[in-house]
Amino acid sequence: MRVKIFANVILFFFLVLIFGLSYTQVLKHASYKELSENNRIRVVSLASPRGKIYDRSGNLLVSNRISFDVEVIYQEINDVERVINSLGDILAMDKEVLSEKIGHSRKMPFVPVKIVEDIKKEKAIQIEEVRLNLPGVIITTRPLRNYIYKDMLSHAIGHLGKISGAELRRFKTYGYHMQDFVGKDGIERTFNDYLRGVDGGLQIEVDNKGRQLKLLAVKEPRPGRDLFLSIDKELQEFCHSLLAARQGAIVALEPSTGAILALVSRPDFDPNIFVSPNNFKKIRNLLDDSRTFPMLNRAISGTYQAGSVFKIVLATAALDSGRFDDKKTFSCNGSFLVGKRPFRCWRERGHGTSDITGAIKESCNVFFYQLGLLLGADEISRYAFKLGLGRLTGIDLPGEVSGLVPTPRWKKSKFKTPWFKGETANYAIGQGYLLVTPIQILRLVGAIANKGKLLTPFIVERIEDVRLRHPESRDIRLKDKALETVKEGLRMAVNAPHGTGLYARSKEVIIAGKTGTAQNPEEKPHAWFVGFAPFENPRICIVIFIEHGGKGGLEPARFARKIIEKAKELELL
Amino acid sequence: MNKLDKTLFFSVLAILFIGLLILYSASTRYYSQNIVFRQACWILIGVILLFIILRIDYQRFISVSYLLYGINIFLLILVLFFGEARGGARRWISLGAFNLQPSELAKITLVLALSLYIGRRKRDVTKIGFLFGAFFLVLPAFFLILIEPDLGGALLLIPITLTMLFMAGAKIKHLVAIVLLGLSSLPFFWQFLKDYQKERLFVFINPNIDPLGSGYTVIQSKIAIGSGGLLGKGWLSGTQNQLNFLPERHTDFIFSVVGEEWGFLGALILIFLYLLIVYRGIKIIETTPDEYGRLIATGFITLFSLQVIINIGMTIGFLPIVGLTLPLISYGGSSLIVTLIYIGFLLNIGMRRPLF
Repeated sequence: MRVKIFANVILFFFLVLIFGLSYTQVLKHASYKELSENNRIRVVSLASPRGKIYDRSGNLLVSNRISFDVEVIYQEINDVERVINSLGDILAMDKEVLSEKIGHSRKMPFVPVKIVEDIKKEKAIQIEEVRLNLPGVIITTRPLRNYIYKDMLSHAIGHLGKISGAELRRFKTYGYHMQDFVGKDGIERTFNDYLRGVDGGLQIEVDNKGRQLKLLAVKEPRPGRDLFLSIDKELQEFCHSLLAARQGAIVALEPSTGAILALVSRPDFDPNIFVSPNNFKKIRNLLDDSRTFPMLNRAISGTYQAGSVFKIVLATAALDSGRFDDKKTFSCNGSFLVGKRPFRCWRERGHGTSDITGAIKESCNVFFYQLGLLLGADEISRYAFKLGLGRLTGIDLPGEVSGLVPTPRWKKSKFKTPWFKGETANYAIGQGYLLVTPIQILRLVGAIANKGKLLTPFIVERIEDVRLRHPESRDIRLKDKALETVKEGLRMAVNAPHGTGLYARSKEVIIAGKTGTAQNPEEKPHAWFVGFAPFENPRICIVIFIEHGGKGGLEPARFARKIIEKAKELELL
Repeated sequence: MNKLDKTLFFSVLAILFIGLLILYSASTRYYSQNIVFRQACWILIGVILLFIILRIDYQRFISVSYLLYGINIFLLILVLFFGEARGGARRWISLGAFNLQPSELAKITLVLALSLYIGRRKRDVTKIGFLFGAFFLVLPAFFLILIEPDLGGALLLIPITLTMLFMAGAKIKHLVAIVLLGLSSLPFFWQFLKDYQKERLFVFINPNIDPLGSGYTVIQSKIAIGSGGLLGKGWLSGTQNQLNFLPERHTDFIFSVVGEEWGFLGALILIFLYLLIVYRGIKIIETTPDEYGRLIATGFITLFSLQVIINIGMTIGFLPIVGLTLPLISYGGSSLIVTLIYIGFLLNIGMRRPLF
């Protein structure tokens, strides 16, 4: 009897074992199978280089260089002291820092852990020479972004940065990893998906110590696609050095297409800083500089008072709407009363009687006060919008802002006060609420130069062999007569006696343009010049903006001449 | 005299053969090849000893069992002072080529001594005092093995004693009372456990608290067995085994290799062979009129079954890791020889029962 009980108890336990085995081996087989594969197979990623960036003539602007990194596999180090001493001597590094970093690698003893990034090639060779005596130390290479011209193109090309948590969550399915670099600004950001290659990888069978036993599969990394820009390297370099030590922006484009030939915003930065290791402090200083804002692309993201360059809008509006023509005149005696308040011209003794081209030439404020009051604020705004102000230009760079074109209705809803006549007068000479970006002003002049066709500026011309389709320029239907008259005014401003753009006059090419001296609440006025050349058949449009640069007729006008002459020399005209 | 129980004997040989194949696979890449050869030598020695045991009437061992047990206790004391320490435990006495493990030997001498104690005064088995006497006999071995420390080896002695008393006819309520008393004294024994033993018990409750330390073995063992599936990954092809993810796979965790490479089917066949041995053993108990023989057989079958159940149970995470070998398969001379010796006793008892 008791033997039966004994036998059954044993049988019971054996049945429990069989149940346990069938649970583990049959029911849960799939999940354990996966776990065992994870044990066995390690994926080593092979970084793909980002696409290179060239200028319009095929000059290399941004490439990749090889970064040499020192990694350690803690498990394989047999003498930690010796590793610290040798590396410390070769790299001239603090041994305590090294020892701390090697200490961190203990947490993952079987996998290579990066301890020093981006060392010099000679140092890497030196380490490689003594590596036999330093088991556990390995030198690895990976491609690192190399901005050949440093700060010269910083605001056009942008910079990279480690992928953020939010970006990682959003893009995980596209194969991004932690520690990946992604474009944070400029075309590095807009075209990140093209520039970025597809990382490859090795599937390696490893043992419990992470030793590599067998190569199971290889996926070659696919490099990113190369970009070709419309930028002309020489012209960019020239503009960049002209603007040195100033705050402001210069943009030049081709009015027939919208292709940007040069885009400079100062102050700027060296994008290499963002990819080299141990630059946290430099990066923070750049990002935190709230005095000069070196990270701000003033050409597209800075909004400013337009000043007299806005008179182009007024003149176009008056002529195109038929409210004014080239025969009519206004007179100026130095000031103009709106209600009881006098509005002054910049020239105290006045300009006398002038027609519209003369008024553009001499930038007569009193003429434009009267023209503004004739048109009314709503009509001015209608044309400002029509010419592309108050909205994005659609340039292929991130961070563009739209500025502000005020209307009486806007003021009513914003400040709960009506629009005053005096504000219309102020508005007419580009002061007041109006805020514009340099690229908007450039585009506006582009439309004047290009028979009323509003174009979309762009920097990236093609991706490898594929020419990008840029939005067609939009015909905003301005009367030819009106355009001709405004253009004539702009020509006279530079080439006729007493023109405000005198300094832009060139012996080599006929330049047309408009200066601007924009009062602003802070200190010295902003200086503007916007123009195009050659007058008969415009090939280049240019805007020069200098923050607190004083009179637009001085430095900006002179810069414009130099740049356009340089462009001619470069056969861009 | 009867014939040898061929079913039992050939099951043992089959398991020994399977064991060598598995050991070969477990050692092929990371341990030296000659552990298979050494195991084969132990098998040879063990089988020779088995046959020697068969030729001697087991009754003659019973008469000297107290003496043997006493010598064994002496060896257990000796091992505490002169034992060779491995992995924090002193369990071995070095005898040149052979390391004697007195705690393994104690399994045999204790069963023999208990059978003498119980068999001689069989009528007293219904008295609780007599039961305490039996445990009093076990206590020195239990305590000495516990402080080696070898938790599994010590704990194993308790159910053996209980089962032998049960089969001798002890009252169930007495046995239950003793078990309860033992459980209530657990906090007292807790302090004798080494930290690593306590840790193992914690890790059994939740292996993920320390996936690279104590929990690592259980997790890797479950992965090995689970990934084997129905038919296994094939001999010499278990990745968990061949790539060294399984620690202790030639000793305590050798069943994980069976599970991984031969799958559920292979594991079932092995368990079936073990069951066959147990079944034949129980047949021997049933057909042996000699009280001493029945008690010895009970003790050894309990020991054998418990080792199999606990060892396999811990490889699939059902039981804590207590460091018990899988009989006849795990690498190691002491365990293998002791197992073959007590199987010799079982066969001996079966051969000497009277014919009806």
